[in-house]
Amino acid sequence: MDGVAPTPGTSPVVVATGLVKSFGPIRAVDGIDLALAAGRIYGLLGPNGSGKTTLIRLLIGLTRASGGEARILGTPMPSRTALGRIGYMPQSESIYPELSVGENLAFFATLQGAQSADALDRVLDLVELAERRNTPATHLSGGMRRRLSLACTLVHEPPVLFLDEPTVGVDPALRVQFWAHFRRLAAAGTTILVASHVMDEADRCDELLFVRSGKVIAQGTGASLRAQAGTTDLESAFLRFSGLDDEGRPIDGAKGPT
Amino acid sequence: MSGTRTLAVARRILAGLRRDHRALGLVLVAPIVITLLLAWVIRGSEVASINVGLYAPNGQADQVHVGFLRAAAAEVPGGVDVTIEAATANDLDELRTWVGEGRVDVGVGLPGVQFGGAPTVTVITAGTDPATESGALAALQALVSRALGAATGVGPNTNIPTFRHETVFLSADADSLDILAPVFLGYFAYFFVFILTGISFLRERVGGTLERLLATPVTRAEIVVGYGIGFSVLATVQVILLTAFVLGRIAVPEIGPIGEWGIGLGVASAGSPLIVLALVLLLAIGAVNLGIFLSTFARSEFQIIQFIPIVIIPQGLLAGIFWPIDRLPEILAAIARVLPLTYAVDGLRGVILRGEDLAASTIQLDLAVLTAVAAVFVVLASVTIKREVA
Ligand SMILES: Nc1ncnc2c1ncn2[C@@H]1O[C@H](COP(=O)(O)OP(=O)(O)OP(=O)(O)O)[C@@H](O)[C@H]1O
Ligand SMILES: [Mg+2]
Repeated sequence: MDGVAPTPGTSPVVVATGLVKSFGPIRAVDGIDLALAAGRIYGLLGPNGSGKTTLIRLLIGLTRASGGEARILGTPMPSRTALGRIGYMPQSESIYPELSVGENLAFFATLQGAQSADALDRVLDLVELAERRNTPATHLSGGMRRRLSLACTLVHEPPVLFLDEPTVGVDPALRVQFWAHFRRLAAAGTTILVASHVMDEADRCDELLFVRSGKVIAQGTGASLRAQAGTTDLESAFLRFSGLDDEGRPIDGAKGPT
Repeated sequence: MSGTRTLAVARRILAGLRRDHRALGLVLVAPIVITLLLAWVIRGSEVASINVGLYAPNGQADQVHVGFLRAAAAEVPGGVDVTIEAATANDLDELRTWVGEGRVDVGVGLPGVQFGGAPTVTVITAGTDPATESGALAALQALVSRALGAATGVGPNTNIPTFRHETVFLSADADSLDILAPVFLGYFAYFFVFILTGISFLRERVGGTLERLLATPVTRAEIVVGYGIGFSVLATVQVILLTAFVLGRIAVPEIGPIGEWGIGLGVASAGSPLIVLALVLLLAIGAVNLGIFLSTFARSEFQIIQFIPIVIIPQGLLAGIFWPIDRLPEILAAIARVLPLTYAVDGLRGVILRGEDLAASTIQLDLAVLTAVAAVFVVLASVTIKREVA
């Protein structure tokens, strides 16, 4: 695939302009502009219902935008050509419980146009499921199923990754390995957008996007966001940007989002 | 459209089914068991013996009456075993009691000596089982008319005509199983394929795999065709098994204490099994896509099951399986004519019972309608598989 790491300063890989998605009265995504550069890991952080999943689905073209536009690798979404070059790990497991680990993986690999047995083996090793190749997915533990889901996303080695809470239910040791792998992928030029509300993962990202009520309320590196909010941890920084104190109570004359 | 991706979808359906032994059993074994059960019921519960209670006026039904009836009974075709019990009472009430208590199946009150007018024979049944009773009545009618003829001096072999029944298709002793079994080939395929696709696709939607599918370059045509191929393979296996069971008969000769027995129903077939397969597959492809389409409107497996009374049962009642369409009330007949199953039923009977082939205009119509219906359902199904799902 596109193995060459693009030099910084080239055009962004994922672009959103004025994305809006309304579900009836709810504006799940409320005018978001984005430009994600190649070779970087972006963290999408926000509370439940803030619109993270909806934003990712809009970027991929899985749901029709009420307004605005998303482009991946220069193509407006949804585009089948672009879809062949992304990996999407949905928030839910999204694997076939009755199929074995190997069958699930082979199926999604084929749809993505990656069929080399090599690729399957590598990704199975990464998620440490090589010994479970013939186990039906129903017989896996919850965390193993998440790992299989991640494997299905990575198997075709796409240049753009959208991971919706990829490490939920994954044990700490493996979580560290996953992040090490994400880092390697980024170093090789992959653009990664990771949705999460685990703030300790946030510090592993190159850049963070705080979302709240469908809006990006702050954006920058972890350090710069902490500095702007005048806090020592990201949790408090997020609350400050949301106009709340550390107990979650509204602050009068709160620091507005930048 | 990419063949690799289409086949991948089909293979994943089959891989899932291979592990789901219960679903496989449901599709492959249940139809045979149900058909066997039906065969057993139909062939095993033909009226084999009637117990007749007899009353004659002016005292007891005498030996002469009974004698005539017995003699006539021996001549009734169909091997119905008639036993006759003479009532001793002087009126019909005793007969009514007998019938009510189940001591006899039918009570027959012979007419008294009468001048002028036609004599009336009173027939008493329990009235609780119309199907069996009408069978018994038919046998009895032949019997009584012969017996009466004999009793009144017109001998059974003289003026009363006897009937010889001849049929154009099948044989005169074909039973309702011969008429029903061919249709079952289509009905089961339709039913099970619909249920299984509906549930599989619902799981795709609810389980998030459809979301993941749609984030790949797969097209909806590839999904729909892949599903069609996967379930058609299943339907083909089902049809082959069931056809072999319905049409074939392997006799197993007597071995020691086990008497001779056979596998298969041995329904006589006149037509080409390939056309049978074509009819059933077209129906199944329609069912696959109907399942995909309707899965949009279900939130759980249970809600797929709720479609059975809407989609499956009315078609079963109206499609001519049990009652010919021509005899339905006009409104129902009009509805029946737009149901795909109607055409499958007609086609299957045409091929299997009447030996029609592709040259027959009815078969052409059936195939054309089934193709058109399948095409419509394919379009409906595709429309519900959207990248831009809300
Ligand atoms: N299909 C839908 N129909 C109606 N409302 C929806 C739909 N999908 C999302 N929403 C609404 O949009 C808002 C954002 O939801 P979204 O799933 O994007 O949140 P999230 O940030 O991913 O939350 P979480 O952290 O819980 O995953 C919520 O208010 C949700 O109720
Ligand atoms: Mg979410």
